[in-house]
Amino acid sequence: MIQVRGASVSFGERQVLGGISFDVPTGQFLCVVGPSGCGKSTLLRLLAGLIRPSIGEISVEGRTVDGPARERAIVFQDYTKALLPWRTVAGNVALSLEAGGTREPERSRRVAELLAKMGLGHAVRHFPSQLSGGMQQRVQIARALAQDPKLLLMDEPFGALDAITRQGLQDEVARLALDRRTTVVFITHDLEEAIYLGDQVIVLSEKGSIAERVQIDIPRPRTQLETREDARFLAYRHRLFGLLQH
Amino acid sequence: MKGALIPAVLAILWEAGSRAGLLPQDSFSRPSAIAAAFVHGFADGTIPRDTWLTFEAALAGFAIAAVLGILAGVALGLSARLERVVGPSVDALRPIPSVALIPLALLVFGFGVRMEASVVAFACFWPVLLMTQSAVRGIEPRLLELARSLQLSFFATLRKVILPAAFDRIGVGLRLALGISLVVAVTVEIVLNPRGLGHAMIGAQQALRSDLMYAQLLWLGALGWMLNHAAKKVLP
Repeated sequence: MIQVRGASVSFGERQVLGGISFDVPTGQFLCVVGPSGCGKSTLLRLLAGLIRPSIGEISVEGRTVDGPARERAIVFQDYTKALLPWRTVAGNVALSLEAGGTREPERSRRVAELLAKMGLGHAVRHFPSQLSGGMQQRVQIARALAQDPKLLLMDEPFGALDAITRQGLQDEVARLALDRRTTVVFITHDLEEAIYLGDQVIVLSEKGSIAERVQIDIPRPRTQLETREDARFLAYRHRLFGLLQH
Repeated sequence: MKGALIPAVLAILWEAGSRAGLLPQDSFSRPSAIAAAFVHGFADGTIPRDTWLTFEAALAGFAIAAVLGILAGVALGLSARLERVVGPSVDALRPIPSVALIPLALLVFGFGVRMEASVVAFACFWPVLLMTQSAVRGIEPRLLELARSLQLSFFATLRKVILPAAFDRIGVGLRLALGISLVVAVTVEIVLNPRGLGHAMIGAQQALRSDLMYAQLLWLGALGWMLNHAAKKVLP
């Protein structure tokens, strides 16, 4: 269970998040959606422990978050900047295991296993710059999974990808989260993506507070074609759409 | 090969002009005499010995500067707060011409390799420091966030993220410093340190051995070229 209690973040005079409170039960997929500049990424960094709240508290499984932890993995939006360009695909995933002290040959075995699972088995020795955006994002996801995280934090991970690649990765992430019972906090600016993936959707307002919080009551597994045409999906979309208009 | 054309023509003109009595003998020794002095200098071991003495001081100074410059550059590149404290002192010290420190270095260390290496180290420190600092400051902040979220230790972050990410530009700083090291070492020897190629050149000049002086000068040019070439192979 993640508990966020009255968290505010200010950078100097400017308040980015204003008194946010919500819970995420273990294993739940939470999507946070909002206009750009509403503090979505700040919220994610807060959960990661990369920044501290100016006021308020965040706890994961009852323990206060006061810094980064290996059980909380991040997938960044800008994959070209978040992978080590001088390491191969395997090397990038291995970094996560090196940090955790996993030794050879166990390390190589885990890397190979994760890369196979993420459909990167053919690209092990490639460098990130030789891969498409979708493939690079798979490498980031594999690296995050190598941490064996209890909480997976994703910052607009598919924002820069084309529609087809994006839909494929949405389904993969949904399946992975379900299989591993990982709690996911997924930031996006795409409302439909949020409803499609989320068990819960939080809409942030421009002022950095919660405008709306909705439980998404659509059974899993969801499919791109049918779920998106489902009456409930459309009803959620209808209800939340107005909140994102300026 | 085409690049050798100009030196070859010049050498021939020089030799001919000298034999025709157009060039003063005491300042323009003949290429043939220079070549003879060079061969002799190698045969009796003086040029190799002086080369080693100069390189010893240049490389020792360079190595000290490289280690200290990279460490200080990483620290200043990572911490804006430290930069605010140390930055003004760096800006004040950096413009001091390194050769102006020769008298001070002599007072502290006396004649010898330590005094020469210390002046070389001072001169080489700045390019390494500045290039490392700007390289580290330019590292993608995502990578540092990643290192933090993976809970990499400081030294693991340094080894696995910061130094590889800054490697190319640190290499440029090291190359600049390597070139400077030879220049400063020879300068210190010419000015007052009684050792190495610089001192040998002063000796040749004072003995009116312009053939030997030219031989040493050309040899220094070749050494500088080789050093730069070797650095290009090793560093990015």
